[in-house]
Amino acid sequence: MLRRGLILFVLAGFLTVAGTASAHTPLFSCFDNADGTIYCEGGFSDGSSASGVPIIVKDASGEVILSLQLSGNSDVEFDKPEGEYSVVFDGGEGHDILIPGSQIFE
Amino acid sequence: MKRGLLLAGLLTLFLSVPALAHFQMLYTPESALEQGGEMSLKLVFTHPFDGDHIMDMDPVQEFYVAHQRGEEGEPRKTDLKEYLSEITWKGLDDAAGKAFDANLPARVVRSMGDYVFVLVPTPYYEKADEGYIQQFTKMIVNVGGMPGNWSEPLGLPAEIVPLNKPYANWTGGVFTGVVMSNGEPVPNIEVEVEYLNVDVDMTANSFVGEPKIEAPHPAFETMSVMANGKGEFSIGLPKAGWWGIAVPDVVELEHDGKEMVQEAVLWIQVTDIP
Repeated sequence: MLRRGLILFVLAGFLTVAGTASAHTPLFSCFDNADGTIYCEGGFSDGSSASGVPIIVKDASGEVILSLQLSGNSDVEFDKPEGEYSVVFDGGEGHDILIPGSQIFE
Repeated sequence: MKRGLLLAGLLTLFLSVPALAHFQMLYTPESALEQGGEMSLKLVFTHPFDGDHIMDMDPVQEFYVAHQRGEEGEPRKTDLKEYLSEITWKGLDDAAGKAFDANLPARVVRSMGDYVFVLVPTPYYEKADEGYIQQFTKMIVNVGGMPGNWSEPLGLPAEIVPLNKPYANWTGGVFTGVVMSNGEPVPNIEVEVEYLNVDVDMTANSFVGEPKIEAPHPAFETMSVMANGKGEFSIGLPKAGWWGIAVPDVVELEHDGKEMVQEAVLWIQVTDIP
């Protein structure tokens, strides 16, 4: 009985790990709307949604100046910060993407 | 006797002339883009393996793109006819024909995902056949690696729907598609395949250089494969570059009192493994 329970537990563990370690890659892109706002969109390489993923905007010293979330359409828009900044797609460990403001074009 | 030999020789020459396959090209240098931005496309009606015989295109009937980002949302259709301008395209034989280019502003191809470009040309009158040809042509571009609507049928009268991402094919791979007419598979139909055997000069509006491959036999210039009972076909991809897939005679109808065939064309790009 104990042995059967152990096998089930191990199997369940494997299944859980397999379920979370999927092969998709996080994707994130931002562009300057040329009207004082920045538009960012996220997603995954398998086409799945990134809705709800936290988006963090930092200043040159790394201080958080905005904490946002991708919408149901996996996008977000915010006012363009003054000076140097960067935008982080906070998809969890191994799924973070940072885009420096200097690489965000119209 | 001598006359008979001459006649036989001439007959052999005529018989060995390959059946020239017309392919409506919808060309851009790269189909898998890191990021969006301004984009240039060329619309040329030609024989891609030979890189010559440029046929005059009349003003385009429809030219649009259907874009979708990821699984969310419906494909968004954008009319692109306003970006077309007439050009003259020169083939390797120095003969030229009327073609079009499209210079798209950054806002059209900016977001991540798939962009399915569709060209519906004005029917082309082929004197030899005393009939018209109209090739519904698709070419698919991806931005940023996020997939979209590459496998979605658009319900065209003649259409090839990819079963592989058409912009992500390694050399040596296999490409599979389905021939459709108005969203329904077309079984047991012949599919033609040609390699774009020449380089393209986007600035000079011409094919340039020498053909990359010399075919050992005319059958290798335009290859043929039959779709199965479900309209599905597969082709191998032995060389990097652009491959044109055409399905002749999907629909036969009448236009201006003449016979017209509506055909499907799909362009896919093949990339070498580094």
